[in-house]
Amino acid sequence: MRQDRWLHWLLLAPALVVMAVMLYYPMLGTVYESFHETSFLNPDPKFVGFALYQRVLADGTFYTVLLNSIVWTLGVVLLQNILGFLTALLLNQQLPMQGVLRAIVLLPFILPGVVAAILWRFMYDPQLGLVNSLLLQVGLIDHSIAWLADSRMAMASVIVAAVWKGFPFSMLIYLAALQNVDQSQIEAATLDGAGPVRRLFDVTLPAIRDVVVVNIVLTLILTFNYFDIIWVLTKGGPQSATHIFPTKIFETGFGQFRFGEAATYGVFSILVLALLVALYAIVQGGANRRRAAA
Amino acid sequence: MMKSLLKAATLGAALLAAGSALAEQTTLQFWDNQQTESGLSDVQKAAVERFMKENPDIKIEVTTVPYPEYQQRLLTAVQGGNAPDVATLDQIWVGAFAKAGAIADLTGQASAAGISRDGFFGGAWDSAVLDSKLYGIPFNVDVWQFSYYNKALLDAAKIDPASLSTFDGLKSAAEKLTTNGKFGVGLFGHKGEDTVVVGDSFIFSNGGRILKEDGSCALTEAPAIEALTYLQGLAKSAPAGILNASSGDMRELFLNGSLAIEFWPALEQPTLQESKIDWGFVNGTAPAGKTPVGTFGGWNLAVFQSSKHQEAAWKFIQFMVRADVNGDVVDLIPANKKAAEAFLQKNRKDPQAIMTQLDNAKARPLSPRYLELADAQIAMFQDIYAGNDPKAAAAKACSVIDTLK
Repeated sequence: MRQDRWLHWLLLAPALVVMAVMLYYPMLGTVYESFHETSFLNPDPKFVGFALYQRVLADGTFYTVLLNSIVWTLGVVLLQNILGFLTALLLNQQLPMQGVLRAIVLLPFILPGVVAAILWRFMYDPQLGLVNSLLLQVGLIDHSIAWLADSRMAMASVIVAAVWKGFPFSMLIYLAALQNVDQSQIEAATLDGAGPVRRLFDVTLPAIRDVVVVNIVLTLILTFNYFDIIWVLTKGGPQSATHIFPTKIFETGFGQFRFGEAATYGVFSILVLALLVALYAIVQGGANRRRAAA
Repeated sequence: MMKSLLKAATLGAALLAAGSALAEQTTLQFWDNQQTESGLSDVQKAAVERFMKENPDIKIEVTTVPYPEYQQRLLTAVQGGNAPDVATLDQIWVGAFAKAGAIADLTGQASAAGISRDGFFGGAWDSAVLDSKLYGIPFNVDVWQFSYYNKALLDAAKIDPASLSTFDGLKSAAEKLTTNGKFGVGLFGHKGEDTVVVGDSFIFSNGGRILKEDGSCALTEAPAIEALTYLQGLAKSAPAGILNASSGDMRELFLNGSLAIEFWPALEQPTLQESKIDWGFVNGTAPAGKTPVGTFGGWNLAVFQSSKHQEAAWKFIQFMVRADVNGDVVDLIPANKKAAEAFLQKNRKDPQAIMTQLDNAKARPLSPRYLELADAQIAMFQDIYAGNDPKAAAAKACSVIDTLK
């Protein structure tokens, strides 16, 4: 037994070392930087205690970034999961050319984030973009809208782009879950007179509940860290309307070389992510306990 | 046997001599911004070959880096202790690199070599001077902006192009030209330095300034506020979505005939010459009775403090800015005035007008924290183009800029 345990640790060691070097060391380094004034002009780190935290919290932009991050994350996760689930329900049916349909639906997910963002930038163009052109033709708008340049529309616009890009991921997860639902339970519900909606809510959803919860937590974490779509589309503008933690960290650290402040934003970002990881761990623990009990 | 020994000795002596010659050769690392559209790296290679022929004891290794990552690569190299010997620096970076002690003070060398402000465009020279010390030699320049106009659109609207030189004339023309799905003026306000340089040129042309002599913010002064208010009015004749639009976006609209007037530096001319647009330009815009003042852009050559070959590096810089060389090695306008005259005569329409605009142009503030200053200005311009009060927007920018002193 003891030998087995040693073997387990030995086999895990390379992965743990890589994680320590690539993940935990930079994280600890970020925390260290957040207590030191470091910039291009002052490259030698100077300990300043909580001064950078006070500066960041006193800066009005921080609360804008925090609110934007919450709106962005919740908006993308909600829409991505709903759209992903509905698409999975559709593709779970016996449709002609099912394989081709599934491949087409996957296309947005396959595109690199930057490419997808450039595509949406063209589509959102106020003069030449497809979005305005289509909406004008069907009469939903009566004049072109500057989707990415209007601070009232910009967040919704980037959310739509991100949902389009990411919903296939949720679709794949849900499709796999749906295909593992016990068909005998669905047949039994049908025999009992349950219609499609009742079957969905009373049989299908409870059967895949754990998958739904896990997918939501996963997409929460991935979306919170999403950088390329917003950076390419708006760089966090206009007027910080779409600035989230990743874009703010990049702009502060690599645009203005204020590494200490960027690290401070990074620590706040880590705290939120740590909460999400804790949530994931609790969810996973709960799911495991339920399986064990069953 | 003796013959073999003699041959071996001769060979050995020859090898020693070659090794000695190689050991004396200095290798300089030269970094430059990569301007891929123009194949600048090829032009640089030709210049390097020429320098090495004139100086066989110096070997130059050229590295070109795309602009978006150039400053970061330089920064990393400086921090990592492997900075190049010589590099081109964007004018707006010189203050930070100088303050950080990364680049060498060239005041003494320039004076000894007879290199002075007189040989270069004044604004470009000023962009390399911090605390009365010279930290770079101007390499190439351009100026924001010239107002390029579509002749056909102006003719159709019966607008005299000369009227675009005044604030009132430009605004009136822009309003008249904004009709039937076309736009009068290509103003833009995205998060980029081009937003700053165009905005600054209107402030300068109205007699305003960005910083006072003591380094505090001057944007709340009357001339700056007037210029900002003017820009806010002009924005109404710009295409929709300017808060996310760049100079490149406006160029696309100008080239497809949807935009009557675009703001670009002289480097726009080759693009327009290849297009089907019948175009002309005026030297920026100022209130009636005042002279338009553009904002300098461009690159300076600097020697890095960590270089072990500072003399050789300085020799290379002197070569690159020489009147007979400067014009052959740049894609923007040479910073050397004599070279610039010849370059413009050969490559640009209306060279004398361009020279006038260059002579009048001003550099952006040389602040070690320029990137943060520019960020505050961009936020201000975005506020103004979004319709907010210019005075409040300027005051907000100043509250940030004053902390950067």
